[in-house]
Amino acid sequence: MSGSSSVEDLPDQCKDLFTQDGVLLKACLGRPITDLNSIGMLCIVENHDNSKSIEWRPNDLITIDSDTQDQEWAVVNTIGISMSYAKGRRQRTFSGNITADYATARARIIRIPLEELKTFRVTRNNQQMQFSTKPGVWQTTFYFQHGNAEIFVASLKNHVKTAKTRHDRNTYVVVEPNTESQVLNKSFAELDIFTENTTDVVWNLVSNFKQRPYETTMEAFSKLTDIVYYGNEGASGKRDVSEEVADLLTKSMNEIDEATTVTTLTRQSDEYEVVTVNPMLPPRPVIPRGTPLSTEKWEGLQDTEGRVTEVDGVRQLIFRGGIARSIRHLVWKYLLDYYPWHMTHAQLKTLHKKRTEEYFTMKLQWRSMTEAQESRFAEYRERKNLVEKDVNRTDRTHPYYAGENNPNLLVLQDILMTYVMYNFDLGYVQGMSDILAPLLLLMGNEVDSFWCFVGFMDKIASNFEMDQAGMKHQLLQLQQLLMFVSPELANHLVQKDSGNMFFSFRWLLVWFKREFSHRDIMRLWEVLWTGLPCANFHLLIGVAILDAEKDVFISKDYGFTEILKHVNDLSMCLDVDKILSNAEGIYHQLVSSPNLPDQIRVTLGLPTINISTSTHSEADNNKPSTSRGTENGYPRI
Amino acid sequence: MSSRKKVLLKVIILGDSGVGKTSLMNQFVNKKFSNQYKATIGADFLTKEVIVDDRIVTIQIWDTAGQERFQSLGMAFYRGADCCVLVFDVTAPNTFKSLESWRDEFLIQASPRDPDNFPFVILGNKVDLDNRAVSAKRAQQWCQSKNDIPYFETSAKEAVNVELAFQTIARNALAQETEAELYNEFPDQIKLNANDNGRNRDGDNCAC
Repeated sequence: MSGSSSVEDLPDQCKDLFTQDGVLLKACLGRPITDLNSIGMLCIVENHDNSKSIEWRPNDLITIDSDTQDQEWAVVNTIGISMSYAKGRRQRTFSGNITADYATARARIIRIPLEELKTFRVTRNNQQMQFSTKPGVWQTTFYFQHGNAEIFVASLKNHVKTAKTRHDRNTYVVVEPNTESQVLNKSFAELDIFTENTTDVVWNLVSNFKQRPYETTMEAFSKLTDIVYYGNEGASGKRDVSEEVADLLTKSMNEIDEATTVTTLTRQSDEYEVVTVNPMLPPRPVIPRGTPLSTEKWEGLQDTEGRVTEVDGVRQLIFRGGIARSIRHLVWKYLLDYYPWHMTHAQLKTLHKKRTEEYFTMKLQWRSMTEAQESRFAEYRERKNLVEKDVNRTDRTHPYYAGENNPNLLVLQDILMTYVMYNFDLGYVQGMSDILAPLLLLMGNEVDSFWCFVGFMDKIASNFEMDQAGMKHQLLQLQQLLMFVSPELANHLVQKDSGNMFFSFRWLLVWFKREFSHRDIMRLWEVLWTGLPCANFHLLIGVAILDAEKDVFISKDYGFTEILKHVNDLSMCLDVDKILSNAEGIYHQLVSSPNLPDQIRVTLGLPTINISTSTHSEADNNKPSTSRGTENGYPRI
Repeated sequence: MSSRKKVLLKVIILGDSGVGKTSLMNQFVNKKFSNQYKATIGADFLTKEVIVDDRIVTIQIWDTAGQERFQSLGMAFYRGADCCVLVFDVTAPNTFKSLESWRDEFLIQASPRDPDNFPFVILGNKVDLDNRAVSAKRAQQWCQSKNDIPYFETSAKEAVNVELAFQTIARNALAQETEAELYNEFPDQIKLNANDNGRNRDGDNCAC
């Protein structure tokens, strides 16, 4: 059939320009019925000859090593959705050992060369997309299980020049495949969509833009496009397009005023607040958690020599459901960059030997220090004192660390002291013992715990730096995220002098260690270590927790002290699976939101698209917007 | 009762890491000691109603992390304090030496109206331990040199002098008297002086 190619046509190498998981194949002309309703990944790919295609790949192809009937994989496959923005232009190579299943699955790939694409349309509340390569027939239909097609459409429009049809706002006609030099044309082409009744408004705008720099024009137009594409498709109230364009113009012009200092419109307010943008967050999808990565599955993911072959798949599985207790101690070594995924058993054995020697060398460095030396080494003494004090008050209620003269406390101390020698500049900072305790508890081995601790610290070292810049930055990012996801709550916090988010300091410093039991924190951490589904997912955990408490904060009109108290009291009362699920739901809301501001995009590791939300330059001075003044960089409350 | 109004006194406990700030607070409020307290991360507070000179007052005691790099966060909580409690560990001379800088830093950051007469109380904690390294005399001398700051030797573990110390803390804080609704944050001072030159700060000023 036209529009999808057989396996022979597939080039051996292509680059994924954009991928979206969790896309169901609803209909495809010429395909056996057994292919329908299977889940896969909808991608935009660049072929080796630089031509581009839309490609749908069934999930059993992506997770090649699995027996596709397996329940655990099925859970992953049906739910998994990730925007692989962060991965960028990931190379996909179809070479090496391909199993029979794999070849079969590969034959099920659907490819639509962009050169052949004539029209596409988005229906069913933005969740369904249909493609056509010849007029009058929708050959393929895909259903976006989670989130919606908005991001995919936005991405597709980077590669093809489109125009909406007169009679159907949801249908796009491909004018011609886009090239880099046609970006400007594309924007104007998109403006054609207003021809029904808004031509005048739009072209008035265009004439006003005459003297403006190219960049600001582009920015305004991209905003315009967003509103028109998405603004009147929302369920609530269909506004006249011209009205929206007018609103948008005001906003765009305000921003342009900022940028160019050419004032043509009277600005209505001094500040451009997030809430006025109307984030238009799509509804939050309910995303169930999966089952943990099992021993069998883990073993199946390794080749005969012990290399972990499908790292992405492993990460996905862990993100979905965590890791079974039986193999957790092993898998953590990989997640914490102690064991490289690609190493064979033999190589790991060598590595382990080397790391063990290194550890004991560093340990000997401080163990061999005499009292006299210590007395002349204040910085060392200071670190040692802090370690001793904190070790004695770390998780003492847990049986592993409980009781007088517990030998495990000594191991905790030895590891932390050796870390002082490993990274003397950072030294020991309060919170580190909290980070280490679950690692040692799980590993039960000094050397392995140390190197896993090193790996974890590499991820969060900026939390502990002297200047605390990392913490300040995260508090700001958390505030920005909350302002977008839950403006009502964020504004309440601002009103109550809590816009600096200090109440969440403990959450962020030790990655929620104090908020959960050991069992739950292990689950949370391993999910966060996967780096999925986006950068800084731990901040969305924070947003999810706060969002769940929104009604309490607002209905009880909690003030500064009550907010802090309430947040502190949430400790050990939180449901880790529910929070993970909500946080993932929020992630999908964010990535599906057409006007996600750049500052949030940067936080989540998404490409920027020149949307900003505020004119008070928070990003520049690195402090929450509610601060009244700062000392040592922290805003005052 | 001399006043119908509920009085909230905000007390800040400061001192090096591990001197016993959290333990003292818990001993006073909950009459409990545990060696299972964790190092404080961020900030927390406890409240307790006490009677001072026939008045019921609520003391809100703020506890923050002791390690130096977290001080800048803790400072955010100093505002509106009615009394500052500085704690050191009598077995650790360094924690005694730090008192001076804790005091100075507090005065700079909390910027009380009358810094010279702002109430501080010094607690030398852990007197139950054998390995004492800072003598009572030395501590008292320092306190006298600092405008006669009241000094107590305490043991949070064995509840020595804790009640007495906090009675003094409450009394001195009350003398400072900031009246505020219970659980209501301290409102911003509304400055009505003309020096502001119409520089509207967060809309605090009346633009008349």
